[in-house]
Amino acid sequence: MRPPRALYVPFELGRPFGAPNEPEFQRRVLIDALKLLERSDGPLIEDFNEMPPNNNASNDEIDKWICPVNFNIAAKDISDIEALAIDLKQEIALLHPWYRESIKKFNGRRLDGLTDFSPEEIVDLLVGFLKNPLIESFLADKPIGRALKLAADDLKHFYFQSAMARPKNISDGQLGDWFYEKTLAGRLLIQLRFLCLEHESEELNLIGRTHFVPNAMLKHI
Amino acid sequence: MVYFSDMPEPQRNMIVNQELPKYDDTACAEGPALAQRKISLITTAGLQRRNDRTFTPGVGEYRIIPNDTDMNDLLMSHVSTNFDRTGFQQDLNVVFPIDRLRELQVAGEIQEIASYHYAFMGATPPMAQEAVSKDLSGLLKDDNVNGVLLAGV
Repeated sequence: MRPPRALYVPFELGRPFGAPNEPEFQRRVLIDALKLLERSDGPLIEDFNEMPPNNNASNDEIDKWICPVNFNIAAKDISDIEALAIDLKQEIALLHPWYRESIKKFNGRRLDGLTDFSPEEIVDLLVGFLKNPLIESFLADKPIGRALKLAADDLKHFYFQSAMARPKNISDGQLGDWFYEKTLAGRLLIQLRFLCLEHESEELNLIGRTHFVPNAMLKHI
Repeated sequence: MVYFSDMPEPQRNMIVNQELPKYDDTACAEGPALAQRKISLITTAGLQRRNDRTFTPGVGEYRIIPNDTDMNDLLMSHVSTNFDRTGFQQDLNVVFPIDRLRELQVAGEIQEIASYHYAFMGATPPMAQEAVSKDLSGLLKDDNVNGVLLAGV
């Protein structure tokens, strides 16, 4: 694209207006972008050189974040699929109070809802795929790969929202490390990735490569 | 957009190496001062209302976000795992600055907010988006929008 006017911002990918809960900073980014509408000497690209507050990863408040629930998954044997489903539902049960607390904190905003399934139902669906990778899609208008992705994202949203009940600021890396290293749900998504990579379907191979585990979290595999 | 130098190598390579159509420069069209503009937001974050259909990878499409939508009901069905979502999860305005835009209107820094905003899923090949983008430009004209902020993730 060669837009007539552009403001180049140096923020983390996924945060075009800088940082959450920083209204004054977001406003400065927005007004700087909109003010370009008054320029007629383009096409032009302007730089926004300011970094958001608390951008330093070693910020004390961020460093102190710990999940309110410790699942102690190190001893779990995830090769027993039936036991995995039971353990996952216990994990979810422990998170439900934090999920509800988080919704209150977010003034009713819920992050999950891409599917109509509850977290427990999603566990059954995803574990069902582990048992039989040739199952039909469980979403009527979606192929199995997209259904797996949306269900996995909904499960992840439930975990992330639960984990965000307490902290004021938290980074993507911290939540990702917690999810993929310390929860069975993270292990489940890693297993889904492996299964899709080995699947006879090329479409699922591609989905396995890119859809369940971010590149930055491959260190937990 | 993060600087390429700060981007993880796989994403950087994917963006640098993808095949893109050739575009000519787009000249600036002169218009009124910002305080006389009606502004619409267009995001590439794959946002949708809770009851909307989720985005389909590879398909050119967009979702309409009426300005009177309960913004707490916006979900993100973007296919990519490789950008930060925790900012959006903590505060919608990190990707879709609707509250900030409303504040600008109250302060008189913009004249009006458009009746509709729009969301694309940014991982879609650009050529697949061309037809629906042209269609969308007609909707913007019908709404008398004279300022659009395209906010990529």
